[in-house]
Order: sequence, then structure tokens, then C-alpha cells
Amino acid sequence: MKLYISEGNPHCLKVLAAVEVTKVQCDVQCVNHEERVVPFPRPALPALLLPSGGHLFSSNAICQYFFETSGQKPSTLISQWLEWESTELQPALLWALHMAVLQGKATEASKSLQGALSYLDQCLSKGTTPYLTGEAISVVDVVLWGALHPFLSDPSLALGECKSVQAWFERLAGEKACQAAAQRVLQGKGLEALKSFMQRQPAGQRRDAQSYGS
Amino acid sequence: MALKELSSLEKFLGLKKPNKYSTQGDNKVPVLQTNSGPAVGLLTVCSHLVKEAKRPELLGTSAEHRALVQQWLEYRTTKVDGCSREEAKTVLKDLNLYLQDKVYLAGHCFTLADALMYYGLHPLVVELAVQEKEQHVNVTRWFDHMQHYPGLRHHLPPVVVLRNRVYTSGHH
Repeated sequence: MKLYISEGNPHCLKVLAAVEVTKVQCDVQCVNHEERVVPFPRPALPALLLPSGGHLFSSNAICQYFFETSGQKPSTLISQWLEWESTELQPALLWALHMAVLQGKATEASKSLQGALSYLDQCLSKGTTPYLTGEAISVVDVVLWGALHPFLSDPSLALGECKSVQAWFERLAGEKACQAAAQRVLQGKGLEALKSFMQRQPAGQRRDAQSYGS
Repeated sequence: MALKELSSLEKFLGLKKPNKYSTQGDNKVPVLQTNSGPAVGLLTVCSHLVKEAKRPELLGTSAEHRALVQQWLEYRTTKVDGCSREEAKTVLKDLNLYLQDKVYLAGHCFTLADALMYYGLHPLVVELAVQEKEQHVNVTRWFDHMQHYPGLRHHLPPVVVLRNRVYTSGHH
């Protein structure tokens, strides 16, 4: 099994942490952002070549696969969180990254994340377990940690009074797996490390009015 | 749109009693109250229905297959849903390339990914001109297969797919 990553690509944080947490046997190779390692879709990193010869280009599917091969069963709760991450959190994050990394507008970036963070904070404060789906780290914690790390670890962004999120984030930030993943992707440079990746991304604007199915 | 799709999926799965759904937030995220609490989100609700119908193979038969199914379900909700006309072109082009040597989206059998991608792509494919359908011949072939798949189409009108080429390829 081979995992392709690129430095400064925020989506690689979660897959690298997942490799470490699950201790799955996997060869990790670092390539350029534009490198075409899988036939579809055009440049897509991280990408995982599967034992069967197929490939995964979704970072969440890669994390799920690692956790499932290490014995964690899929569940409705897991599915729900991962769906929330990809459909609600990621669009807000893409906009926030665009604002913070390319335009230097930290306030706008924090604002666009407020809704998602308060929702996460509410869920964590209602829960009775240290992690999102139970007593142990699950794929949900790793995926959300990876998604939020660039922002929650940046002291210049004021992200309001989300005490439960802070406590949960610090718990994960103390994990060796997360520290190693953050070091490899961000090289200790924080948001600045994501600049060259973000310059290659579409502007992350809100969906325009001329869309299907609305 | 999501609610019609859920009702069609229920019928496809042979679930006798139609469920009542509510929606949540500005994006009208579907919610289903289950015995073990609410299931929130289109994919989560659909996966729940598949389990309720005792058809777990539709979510994949191995860890690898399940990851592939999840990947294409996610692609449907993040790339296809609400895409602009410009983004739709990329989606069709990419899928056409991917389906070049494939009958189904994930693995070698029909899964939930095929069902939901068919429902999600319908508004895009319905607007394609004959020539565009021919440019995306692999998507069109897969789409035609899905709309004839027993019990899947339900709420959607059939899309005419020509089996003989009108335009010769490679000269556009």
C-alpha cells in the first residue's frame, strides 16, 4: 500500500495522523502538489494506492479505510460526523483558508468558522466522553483535528469562547501521531506553509446562483 | 430534491413503510429519527436505510470496497450537488474518464454509490445535447444502465440515450 502526500497540503494532516494512530503498514511518499499519481481526478493528493490496484483520492475515505483495517467498525455516528465534515465544515474551511492564507484577513477567516465551531463545541460539551465518538480516538477525531489544526493552532486567530473545542483539541495535540503529522505537513511554519497549495486552489467562493438542483 | 430521492431509495430497497423526514439548517439537511437517535445527513440517512433493508452489501463487501463506496458517495455530495455549470463540465469530464473501463462506480457490483450518483447526476445529464452526450459516452452508458436498473428510476423521467452515434468522434 502506498500513500502519496504533498507538503503544505492541509488534507494530508489527517491521513498522516491516521497512519500513525492505526499503525497500518503503509509506504508514505512525498510528491509535488501537481504530481499526477492517480488517474482520476486530476491532481488529487493525498492519494492511496490500494492492495487491489484501485485508489482512493478522498482524504476521509483514506482515514476510514485505515481505521477499519485496524478494527474500528463503521457506525451511524461516524458516518454522520464525516458527512458533516465534508459538506458543512470543508466549504467554510476552504473560504477561511483563502481569506487567512492568501488575503491576510484573519478576522474574516475566523468569522466564517464561527458557526461550525459553535456546533462542534455544543456537541462536545453535551457529550460525556473525552473524544467525539467515545473513550478512544476514532477516525472522527483524527479527521476533524486535521481539518481544524491550521486554525486552532494559530494564536493570531481569535476563535471565541469554544472551551470544549479547546480542551478536545489540546488532548489531540498532545498525541505523538498528531504532532508528527503537523510537523511533516506544516514544517513548523503554521498557516504560511499552506500558501503555495492555496494558490493552486479555486477561489473557494460561495456557490454561484446558476447551479443545479437548487 | 433530497426527500424525493430518499423516497425513491426506500422503494428501491423494498422498504414497505415510508419514513417521515425532517430537515435541518439552511442547507435543508435531511434528518431521520431512528430507534437509536437521529440520523443526520443524506448519506448517513441512506446508509441507515440500506442497513434497515438488510442489504449491507450495497455499502461494500470489504474494508477496501466500503472505502471506495464512501469516496464516491462523498464525491456526489461535495462535487455534484449544487455545482455551477462550469463545475458540472469538470465533473462530467472526470467521471467520463473514470468510467472508461468500469461498469459500476465502486468495485465490480452495483452499490449505493451508483444509486445516489444516478439521482445526483440526473439534472446534469437531462440538459446535455446529443453531441455532449456523445462526448461523455462512458457517463452516458453508465447512466443508461442505471436508469434501466430494476426499480431504481422511480421519481425521475427517463433520459433519451442514442445508441448509434450521430456525430463522428474526434472532430469537434
